[in-house]
Amino acid sequence: MLEGKQNGQVFKLPKVILLATNITNVELEKAKAAGFADTVIMKPMRASMAAACLQQVLGIGKKRQAGKNMLNGSMALQGLLCGKKILVVDDNMVHQRVVAGALKKFEVAVECRESGKAALKLLQLPYCFDAYFMDIQMPEMNGFEATHPIRMMESKANKQMNGGMDEDSGRKGEWHVPILAMTADVIHATYDALNAGWMDVSKPFEEAKLYQVVAEFFKSTRSNCFT
Amino acid sequence: MDRNRLHNQVASMRRSLFDQGYLDDQFIQLEELQDDTNPNFVQEVVTLFYNDSARLIQNIEQALNSGPIDFCKLDDYMHQFKGSSSSIGAKKVTNECTAFREYCNAENAEGCIRSFQQVKQEYAILKRKLEVYLQTVRQASQTA
Repeated sequence: MLEGKQNGQVFKLPKVILLATNITNVELEKAKAAGFADTVIMKPMRASMAAACLQQVLGIGKKRQAGKNMLNGSMALQGLLCGKKILVVDDNMVHQRVVAGALKKFEVAVECRESGKAALKLLQLPYCFDAYFMDIQMPEMNGFEATHPIRMMESKANKQMNGGMDEDSGRKGEWHVPILAMTADVIHATYDALNAGWMDVSKPFEEAKLYQVVAEFFKSTRSNCFT
Repeated sequence: MDRNRLHNQVASMRRSLFDQGYLDDQFIQLEELQDDTNPNFVQEVVTLFYNDSARLIQNIEQALNSGPIDFCKLDDYMHQFKGSSSSIGAKKVTNECTAFREYCNAENAEGCIRSFQQVKQEYAILKRKLEVYLQTVRQASQTA
């Protein structure tokens, strides 16, 4: 079990990213409301989307670029994502490679695992991932089952830190791992999410709008990226 | 002039793959992920797709030919196949996979068998076209 603090260090729990093929706004809200997922991305994943969602859930860009137009955002985004460690969990090797390729563009350090079980082994300390891209529909252990331990660690850490402060940012210690899970069948995914019992409301944000804005942005500035 | 001809050939083949609906935007995503640090990305992913597909086709053949059909299993395999094909932007193959899954859901054995022939056919056509296309791309880049 992950402790909130160890040797005086405060751990940042990772974000988990949801990818889906077709999703209506209603289904999107349901998956997010199910609490385990903060954002849903359509599968197969577009490179621009990966970065945008990562940026959103890691809370970067908002604070540091508040009020600025993202003219040079792609370079800045690359810089901000640089060095982040992401775990991609997908039993489909082709899709896994595409996701990894997209993330590596932003100089993100990517690890890949083919199953929930294999991914959970990496939850042992030291805990070093900033985000998870998690496929929901995997044979032995689906994405919900695999992220459940993360949520459990979170609530335990939250209870321990109740009233405590996050030393780094001065925020109140409240771990919430945005979970981004990948699915090709969002209806079943939402059903599974509800069955998994995660009904706390998570922070809503307009994914579709975000995608539109960022997609346009990436289209126009692609030539400036990745020098 | 050889170089120009090859480059024109590449452009025309590429256009036709998209115009004729063999590939969709997702393939462009792969192309955009290819760069100096990742110079063979498209070929690598496509090769993965071929390997994955060969395995899945074999599994599906077996499932269709051995005794009472397990539609759940078939659907799982096809879910995988669809996942792979859509990841590289193989539009026609993906559509055939979708059609197959509908027959699976309806537990229509005949439909599955017929539909699977379509899947295999589209896959074979795409594989051939992609192999030729990527080979031409390689040749063009070597004469550049």
